[in-house]
Amino acid sequence: MTREADVVRSLVEMADTLVDDYDVVDLLTGLTDRCVTLLGVSAAGVMLASPSGSLGLVASSSEAMRLLELFELQEQEGPCLDAFRSGGRVDQEDLRAGSGRWPLFSAAAVRAGFQSAVALPLRLREVTLGALNLLSTTRSPIGEADVIVARGFADLAALSILQHRASAEAQRLNEQLSAALTSRIVIEQAKGVISERAGIDLTEAFARLRGYARNANLPLTDVARAAVDGTLDPRAWTSARG
Amino acid sequence: MPGDRLRRILAELSDGETMWPAARLCAVGPQITGMKGAGVMLMSDDLPRGSLCSSDEVSQLIEELQYTLGEGPCVDAYQRDTIVSEPDLADPQTRRWFAFTPPVLQAGVRAVFGFPLRVGTVRLGALDLYRDRPGELSSDQHADALVLAEVTARWVLDAQAGAPSGVVAEELEASADFHFAVHNAAGIVSVQEGISVTDALIRLRAFAYSHDRLLDDVAQDVIARRLRLG
Repeated sequence: MTREADVVRSLVEMADTLVDDYDVVDLLTGLTDRCVTLLGVSAAGVMLASPSGSLGLVASSSEAMRLLELFELQEQEGPCLDAFRSGGRVDQEDLRAGSGRWPLFSAAAVRAGFQSAVALPLRLREVTLGALNLLSTTRSPIGEADVIVARGFADLAALSILQHRASAEAQRLNEQLSAALTSRIVIEQAKGVISERAGIDLTEAFARLRGYARNANLPLTDVARAAVDGTLDPRAWTSARG
Repeated sequence: MPGDRLRRILAELSDGETMWPAARLCAVGPQITGMKGAGVMLMSDDLPRGSLCSSDEVSQLIEELQYTLGEGPCVDAYQRDTIVSEPDLADPQTRRWFAFTPPVLQAGVRAVFGFPLRVGTVRLGALDLYRDRPGELSSDQHADALVLAEVTARWVLDAQAGAPSGVVAEELEASADFHFAVHNAAGIVSVQEGISVTDALIRLRAFAYSHDRLLDDVAQDVIARRLRLG
């Protein structure tokens, strides 16, 4: 298969995983694996920012990469952090223990067998969500074409993460609305039940329901549900007043 | 450009304001989509919960019939998560709503359309549009209705985002008709007949349907003790 075909197939496969209930970690692990398979790099890793703004490790193509990225986070220096902080690409840099931009990170990377690093931000317009780290066991430069492909993967991942978050928020609000409406409906049903049992109108029924809930220090919805289920003490509507 | 359409529709809705009431979605909806009337039904758990707004009496009837009967363009659009198009309700070939169609035809409706309200994968209800003459939507009307449905869905979620947990947002409570009287009546009937409220609601719906009445009207009679089922 040609390289273009491989790249296109990877993009299609990634897009295919963006179904209703996909897992962000699975998506990003797939992204790191594809970087290694398709690009001239030896290892790849993704970090994402938490709501508080601190980066966390989400996916790595290998165990060595995972440990190195954890080290990067612990020491707070390295290509991924720079790409995230600047929101821009961190050009390939040869790694030499104890020197360069990241002396501590470079030492650990060289120990793990890596010799050069590139990093790209995961971003959509002004929002930077995290960064993609690409490491190589050689000093040969990563081709510009490979960086463009990596950029495409990173952009698709960023877009899908943002949509996933927006969808999760919409889900939360919809469930909240639905639950609130269900509580309201149970209270209205309970007003009807008490109005019929006590031979009073709906306004008076609500006053007694609320009065009982207050005196008993119980949530109104719970008292209403008990009234509807027929498990509420009859004194709730015969004696208690709001 | 899709962005231009959204901007134009938002400009018509907002009329220069950053916030607008739900009623405006339905009031301006017909003008935006070139239809006779518009209504918005909120749904959850596969059931109509209430009407957010309606542009005129006929739209209101379309909403109330769907609430009473549990069938119609919004119900289908929501349940099947797809756009519903009935360009000629009088065509005997396409009699898809057995109970809903006759009364709306009688009210002068010839074509109805339903558009799901959704944000991402979340479904909130449906927008219905009607017209007093038959005919398909043009591709422009179709696109306008899709954008209007999207804006409406976001309006609902934005409204709820401002409410404390466990409470229906004030804007929704103020604009929408959640048919609370029907639930009062279900409580009353459950005691009168010694049945569950769920069964009582079914009995109320069956009574309304078999007597060609709206559920809300039946509920009012039950509450006033003018009517006793059974």
